[in-house]
Amino acid sequence: MNYFLLLAAAALQTTAMVRRGFSFHSCPINNLYEATTFLSWTIVAIYLVVGIAHQLRFLGAFASPVLFGIGVFALMPSLDPPHGLQPDFSNGLVSLHASMILLAYGAFGLGAISAGMFLAQQHDLKFHKLRAVLSLLPPIQRLELVTFRLVLAGFILFTIGLALGPHLPKKTDENYWSDPKTLWSIFMWLGYLALLLAHWRRAQSNRAFATSVIAAFAFLLLTFWGTNLLSTLHHQP
Amino acid sequence: MNVVVIGLSHHTSPVELRERFAFAEAKIPDALKFLRDSGIADEAVILSTCNRVEIYAATSLEPAKAFAELKNFLKTTHAFDEPFDDKLYALAGSQSLQHLFKVACGLDSMVLGETEILGQLKDAYKLAHQHGHTGARLNKAFQRAFHVAKHIRTHTNIQRGSVSVASVAVELAEKIFSSLAERDVLVIGAGDTSEKVARALLSRGAKSIIVASRLFERAQILAKEFGGRAVQFDDWAGEFERIDIAISSTSAPHHILDRARLEPLMKHRKDRPLLLIDIAVPRDVDPAVNFLENVYLYNIDDLQAIADDHLKQRKEEIVRCEKIIGEKVNALLDTRSEKTIATNVSDTCAEVPI
Repeated sequence: MNYFLLLAAAALQTTAMVRRGFSFHSCPINNLYEATTFLSWTIVAIYLVVGIAHQLRFLGAFASPVLFGIGVFALMPSLDPPHGLQPDFSNGLVSLHASMILLAYGAFGLGAISAGMFLAQQHDLKFHKLRAVLSLLPPIQRLELVTFRLVLAGFILFTIGLALGPHLPKKTDENYWSDPKTLWSIFMWLGYLALLLAHWRRAQSNRAFATSVIAAFAFLLLTFWGTNLLSTLHHQP
Repeated sequence: MNVVVIGLSHHTSPVELRERFAFAEAKIPDALKFLRDSGIADEAVILSTCNRVEIYAATSLEPAKAFAELKNFLKTTHAFDEPFDDKLYALAGSQSLQHLFKVACGLDSMVLGETEILGQLKDAYKLAHQHGHTGARLNKAFQRAFHVAKHIRTHTNIQRGSVSVASVAVELAEKIFSSLAERDVLVIGAGDTSEKVARALLSRGAKSIIVASRLFERAQILAKEFGGRAVQFDDWAGEFERIDIAISSTSAPHHILDRARLEPLMKHRKDRPLLLIDIAVPRDVDPAVNFLENVYLYNIDDLQAIADDHLKQRKEEIVRCEKIIGEKVNALLDTRSEKTIATNVSDTCAEVPI
C-alpha cells in the first residue's frame, strides 16, 4: 500500500518536475528549491527501484516521513527565487553531472534510513526483547547489507558525477579548485570512501558503521545548501 | 435438516480417554459409511487428532435422538461401555457451526491460535468428501469454516507471536539472520528444551547442528538424530568461530561462558552476529556478554517472558475472534434462509444432556 502511494506521489512529482523542466528547457535543478525537490525525487526513485523486491519495501515506512520533511523544507520561499538569466545548459553533461550527484545523495539518504532501522532493531534485540520480536523490521543482517549496498551505489554515482565536473564548460576566470562546493564535494567523497573502506576492512563495528552513515548524510543535508550558496560555479548570477 | 457435532477434546477429557476413541485414518471411511447407511447421518465428517475426536453430521433426526445415536455409535465402535457422558459435548444448530469455526481458527486448541488443527480439519473433510460422505450442508459449513479461519488469521492477532520457548528462539534467530539456511547451531549440554530449540531451528532450515556434551555418547546419539556431528565437551569453544547460534543447557554450577572467554572468540567472527540461548538454570552464560558487540543473549526467562506475553496478547484477541465468528455463523445461516429455525433448534438443543 505504502509502495503504491509513494509510486503515485512519485508520478505526480515527476510530472511537476518535467513540466517545470520543459518551461525552462533544462533539467529543473537551477535553484535550491529545485535541487531539494530533485533530492526527494531521487530518494523516492531509488526506493521505488529497490522496492521492486518485496523484501526491501520496509524502507518505505521510514523513507516517507523523511521525504515529507524534505518536501516541507523545500517549500521555504527563499529557496525558490525567480530565475535570473537563463542558465547555460546547452551542454548535456551539466544535467548529467547534477543528476548523478543528486541520485547519489538519494542513495546515501536511503542508506541512512536503513542504517537508522538497523540501529533501532539492534537496540531492541539487545534490550527490549519483546518489542524486537514483535517488530516488523527485517533481520538486522539484511539491514546491514542493504545499508552497505545503498552507500556503495551512492558512492559510485557520486564518483561518476564528480568525475564529470572538470569536463563541464566554465568561465575562464573561475578556478575549479578553489570553489567551496568542489572542495566540499571532494571532502564528502573522501568521507564516504573512508566509511566504505573501514566497513570493508571490518575496522569498525556494525553499529559504528550505521551511525557514521547517518551522521554523514545529516552532515551532507546540513551543509548542502550552505556550500551551494557560497559556490560561484554553481550559483548562477 | 440439522448440523450437529458430538465429541470429546482436551477440554473435557484426559488423554487416556481420547486415545480410546481415536479413529485410525484408514477406518474413517467405513465409519462414515456406517453412519450414513444406518440413517443416523445424511452427511458426516470425523475429525480425530491427539487433542480431539469429533463427529460432524448433517442429520434429519431430532438433535436429541441424533446425539443418542452418535454416542451409541462411538461406544460400540470403540468397545467402550463405561459411563462417559460428562466427557462429551454435543452441539446443534448455530452452536455446532460456531464450534466448527472456532476449531478451525485454533480458538479451541490447547495452544491457543495454533494452525495445525486447520490442516487436520481440512484433511478430515477431504477424506469424507472423497468418499462421498459429505453433501451440500457440510460442504458449505466446512468451506465457510476454512474461509473464516483465513479471515481471522489475516484480520486478528490470534496467531501472532510464538507461544513456546523453542519457537520464540527461532523467531529471534529470524530477526537477526537474513536466512537460517546457512546457519550452524551449537548445542552445549543436551537437554529436553535445547533439543526442541535445535529441532525447531533445523525445521526452519538451519544448516547443521553440532552437539557438545559431557557424555560424549549422548552427544553422538543426538548429533546422529539431527544429522550433525558431535564434539568433545572441552572442545566446544573451538567451534565458536564458525557457528551462528549456540544453545547452552549444561548442569554446570557456574558460568561456562563469560566476557573474558568470549571476547577473544568474537574477534575471529568478523562481525557476524552471535545468538546465545542460555536455557540452563543456574545460567551457563554470564549476562555481561550481552554488552559485547554482535552478541545477542537470551536466557530461559527472557524466552518464557516473550512466549507468555504472546499468549496474553492472543487471549486478548479471543473476544474479537468470537465476534467475527458469530457474525459469520449468522451470515451462513442467513444464506440458508433458515436462521429462525436453526436458532430455535439451538436454543432448545444446545448442550443437550445425553
